[in-house]
Amino acid sequence: MDASPSYIQSYCTIRDRSIVLNGTIFLKMDIATPLADFLKSAYRQLDIDYPKFHKMDSLCKAIFIATELMARHSGPYASDTALIFSNRSSSYLSDNKHATGIFDTENQTASPATFVYTLPNIALGEISIRHQLHSENVFFIFDRYLPEFLVPYTEAALDDKQIEHAIGGWTEISEHTCDLLLYHIGKLGSIPHTVAKLKRIYNEHE
Amino acid sequence: MSELTQELKAKIITQLNLEDLTVDDLDDHTPLFGDGLGLDSIDALELIVMLDKSYGIKLSDPKEGRKVFETVQTMADFIEANRK
Amino acid sequence: MKAAIFIVGDCVISPLGMGSTLNFEKLLAGETAVAPLDDTTLAEHRIHAARIADHQWVGKIQNASKYTRLETLFILAIQNLIDTYGIPVDRRTLVILSTTKGNVSLLHNPAARFPESRVYLSEMAHEIQHYFGFENQPITISNACISGALALSVARQLLQSSDAYEHVLVVGGDEISKFIVSGFEAFQALSDGRCRPFDRDRNGLNLGEAVAAAYVTKNPTDDAVCIRAAGSFNDANHISGPSRTGEGLYRSIREAMRLAGEPVLDFISAHGTATVYNDEMEAIALHRCGLSAIPLHSLKAYYGHTLGASGLLETILGIHSLRAGELIPSLGFQYPGTSKPLNVITQPIARPMSRFLKTASGFGGCNIALIFEKV
Repeated sequence: MDASPSYIQSYCTIRDRSIVLNGTIFLKMDIATPLADFLKSAYRQLDIDYPKFHKMDSLCKAIFIATELMARHSGPYASDTALIFSNRSSSYLSDNKHATGIFDTENQTASPATFVYTLPNIALGEISIRHQLHSENVFFIFDRYLPEFLVPYTEAALDDKQIEHAIGGWTEISEHTCDLLLYHIGKLGSIPHTVAKLKRIYNEHE
Repeated sequence: MSELTQELKAKIITQLNLEDLTVDDLDDHTPLFGDGLGLDSIDALELIVMLDKSYGIKLSDPKEGRKVFETVQTMADFIEANRK
Repeated sequence: MKAAIFIVGDCVISPLGMGSTLNFEKLLAGETAVAPLDDTTLAEHRIHAARIADHQWVGKIQNASKYTRLETLFILAIQNLIDTYGIPVDRRTLVILSTTKGNVSLLHNPAARFPESRVYLSEMAHEIQHYFGFENQPITISNACISGALALSVARQLLQSSDAYEHVLVVGGDEISKFIVSGFEAFQALSDGRCRPFDRDRNGLNLGEAVAAAYVTKNPTDDAVCIRAAGSFNDANHISGPSRTGEGLYRSIREAMRLAGEPVLDFISAHGTATVYNDEMEAIALHRCGLSAIPLHSLKAYYGHTLGASGLLETILGIHSLRAGELIPSLGFQYPGTSKPLNVITQPIARPMSRFLKTASGFGGCNIALIFEKV
């Protein structure tokens, strides 16, 4: 699919310790800042009152922040905006936390508040609640960012469901690192939703 | 008694990640669910785990939890009455 | 006009045995895989669950020691499809894997014999790809308990929008682990006996394990079933609790029905986990859709909740039901127990049928509805 029926409305990258919205830095911190502190600072800088944020795991927090920022530029999102996400580690951070708790020889614990985050699509539930998105969600797992799959898939999904908007991208979070690119797709605009364009955006963060 | 309520408040705040709250913000009689603190069903399950791990009390009937977790005070009363 | 997409073949590996026909016959005979299970590697006390026995998989593939239990089950199901239907292993064939937790049983588990990197679903997909030598990297979907049904919808969309693939193998699977058991237990979601979907006295779900596989293509066979329409919507309400209005499921069913041209349904294969809130939510959504009178079953009391496999497993058995013209009873149901009435199937009934609705709902607020129709 060479022609692009859709356009990128806004995009956000979170990498190392910086957050960039449409090419402009929103927050940049020292690389040694713990990821949790960095994400909390970003939340503070958003200046919103959403206490549920603090209950989320880092995957949800990063996705929440990027989605919030894009909404400020190209939102509010249409309620039928499809969510088409991907990453490598699924919900590994919460998986790891839950597994550590249940195999702890001293004090075996299974925390419901941890277990609920042991699915990657919980993040899609979180942003659906925040932005009131009643739409199709799908979470793919790949070994790397794969715009070659995601771009045509997203275009076909828009066509199939006769809808105009989607949010999608790559959201790979580990204990200390963050490699996230999310974009909001719509039918009008100037940045074509193509593999080449997304590869460039993904590689040029900052 | 007030020692237990203070302890409970601190535990609730850390366990449930109520980041923007301090022990002093939390009144003994503030409803924990609904219009009060606005806790939800996952928080309720987390409180059940807390009762078990910290005080050795098992709540097997989730409906019982609704009364027990009404306020910090009702939680403290329940723990006093049931702890081993 | 988009091309019609068909399921032309399938395979089921469950505790009831290997093969979808065998599984279907056992359901009609009232056999259940759910049994008391005392296994301290899973839980400190007795649970009721449906486990696949070792003899069903141990030593059944080449280089068996290189693959985890779940990978072996996936491989067996794919091998069965390839052998039965003569599917080529080349660039025209795509594998879609659906699972909620894959090899998560290895994580921090002192008894694990594999490196923890195998917990990554992409590693698992890689192992399966290389076992067969597939040219295409498998597509992996992890979308909670709708994964299996969603994978069918994704397969349909991929085949309709591109000529790159001719054969899509949709394979869903999950296994029971301490990871899963402890989590559902912390959620107080496990039943103390065999589960009772939609029943007044239901008090939770049973966990189960299965691998289910469907062969999806544009080319119908005589006994093919068409994936007629799909709808999938999020509740946008809560990350774990089912919506009290059934909003997402209601919208999903409405969308599928609209796209299919409001057809008459012969039965509904519900999600029916047998938790108090899930089943109530489904009854409300179906009532809102005006579908309360359609015969309905949940297969969870036969297999338990097989998580990422469930939507696919239950679809395949629904297809057998459709073809054979026999409704599968909903095991475990005795007294109505939802605020809106449902027409729960309690006896095997023989009648000619054309189509059914499959629904699934999951954590994260996701829902899906699919309509399947005989050719």
